[in-house]
Amino acid sequence: MGRYIARRIASAIVTLWLLATIVFVIVSVLPGESIGRKILGAFAPESEVAAFNQRLGTDRPLLNQYFSSIKSVFTLDFGTSYQSGADVNDIIFPALFRSGKLALLALIIVIPLAISAGIFAARRKDKFADRAIVTTGLALSSIPDFIPAAVLLSVFAIGVPTSVLGVSSSLWTFGKPFANPPPGTSVIGHFPYLILPALAMVIAYFGYIARMTRAGVSNGLNADYARTATMKGLPPGKVMRGHILRNALAPTITVISVSIGYLFGGIIGVEKVFNYAGLGSTMLTAVGAQDIPVLQGAVLLVGIIYMLSTLAADLLIAYLNPRVRLESKR
Amino acid sequence: MSEIEVPVEASMEDQSPPVATPEVKVASERKQSRRENWRLIRRRPSFIIGNLIVWFWVVCAILGERITPHHPLDFRTTPHLSPNGDFPFGTDQTGRDVLSRVMAGAFDVLKIAPLAALIGVLLGVVLGMLMGYLGGWLDNFLSRIVEAFLALPVVLIALLAVTTLGKSSGVVTGVVAVLFIPVVARTVRAAVLGERELDYVTSAKLRGENGAFVMFREVLPNVSGPIIVELTVRVGYAVFTVATLAFLGAGPPPPSPDWGAQVSDGFRVLSAGIWWTTFFPAAAIASLVIAVNLIADSVQSVLDA
Repeated sequence: MGRYIARRIASAIVTLWLLATIVFVIVSVLPGESIGRKILGAFAPESEVAAFNQRLGTDRPLLNQYFSSIKSVFTLDFGTSYQSGADVNDIIFPALFRSGKLALLALIIVIPLAISAGIFAARRKDKFADRAIVTTGLALSSIPDFIPAAVLLSVFAIGVPTSVLGVSSSLWTFGKPFANPPPGTSVIGHFPYLILPALAMVIAYFGYIARMTRAGVSNGLNADYARTATMKGLPPGKVMRGHILRNALAPTITVISVSIGYLFGGIIGVEKVFNYAGLGSTMLTAVGAQDIPVLQGAVLLVGIIYMLSTLAADLLIAYLNPRVRLESKR
Repeated sequence: MSEIEVPVEASMEDQSPPVATPEVKVASERKQSRRENWRLIRRRPSFIIGNLIVWFWVVCAILGERITPHHPLDFRTTPHLSPNGDFPFGTDQTGRDVLSRVMAGAFDVLKIAPLAALIGVLLGVVLGMLMGYLGGWLDNFLSRIVEAFLALPVVLIALLAVTTLGKSSGVVTGVVAVLFIPVVARTVRAAVLGERELDYVTSAKLRGENGAFVMFREVLPNVSGPIIVELTVRVGYAVFTVATLAFLGAGPPPPSPDWGAQVSDGFRVLSAGIWWTTFFPAAAIASLVIAVNLIADSVQSVLDA
């Protein structure tokens, strides 16, 4: 197991380095013109642009910039914001914390829901309930996430159908249109603020997790070990929990770990609709202001979270399934 | 679709390459089975419905203002009229007809998404074939890079790239295409790995055929199933990505009637009860994405069977 962990961590570090390289190429190599020229505009005098670049350190040789860029990923030091001059970390870590709250609520809802739906569908494979779950789930996941977010916002926070249906909207409006809870809100008090954006995230990821669980469980139901367990007289619940799920959940765990990485940064649309001050909104603000260090820091932070969550998932899978950790010895 | 790329090894349904039949099919037989597959695909209701919707939007995109009831940029009407007889989808904040803008807006997404998907798939196929067929250190190295690309949601890298490179439709097409290469390459690589050890490849090599011939004339036709599936799936992802980028402000500039941009303009007035400027363009995006996915799904279920 120790050897497996070491190998897995080494590969995560290599991937992180490559990721930082990709981001560096996009930000510093491809654009052609200097960042100072880009921000100050085509009519700024050359001397001003040069001074600007010197202040940002973007006048240094590319290789030099590359090394400090790679270093920043591993030391978590992303420099200072172009726009406000503040430490990038003071901007992106509070935003990460807020996105984390939202992601956590979404995960608490979507994991049990999608796994039970997947098991349910696998047991009724190719029947109506199965088709309904898989098709609806995938259709909902395939729509860009800002659309379910806008629908949830207008129905459950604003109560738009009120005028159309002529019924009082207080019956179903349970969420707030703006997701940022005021400072000092209690843990329970967060709920009406976070529930609607969290539900939009649930809609975005339910289909994937349910489908993966369904595929794994339906393979497990047909496997010899499941038949053996049933034949030796175990009740169906025990066969499912003790034998099938232990084996079949590996791909589900992988998908969940990927979603965690994506939930922190990928749901920019949902954060925009609910005006939520998370990592996604931070990135959008940085895009508007051409604030490259903030944008770069936020993007790399999302990459780091992805690495950590997939690493944790692989270790969990190895812990659950001895075949995985023993295979690496060969 | 929300952009999770399920790792190939994690997806149990995808484990067997769909066309990895052990015996080599002769060309005529291959042609016949292709025709048979096509017949099966055409018969599926989801394929028919998906096509009806997609072609409706294609017609709207091509004919544009020639068939819209009003001019999509004409702002001489009262702003924020709710849906009525003259303006079935209402009017937007500057008094433009929402129905006309939704119809004309199909152009902005359809000129980018299919082309981006096609370029991404073509380059991804070449890369995946090289990785799967040649193997060795090249495969190892490229696989690492592919993995690094997958660590970030496509929308996120696209947003970063569009910010530094500019947001013209050429750049957006190129960026989306490039970001699709890694995923496609991984799928194709996995399919090629299943073929590489089969007898027909060995015999082609023994005949003295060169690598390019074996790869593109022998192996490629046998992995065409997963490639076609990948292409249809990618078109769906491309629509998703382009619409999301436009919503986030990295789309065509105003007053272009882009769907994502319309939703972005509209959702701020939702709280005033003005739902039609958001709802109709949003429904248009949803209908196109779902239609493409219906087609992809029917293609997949026939070719993967």
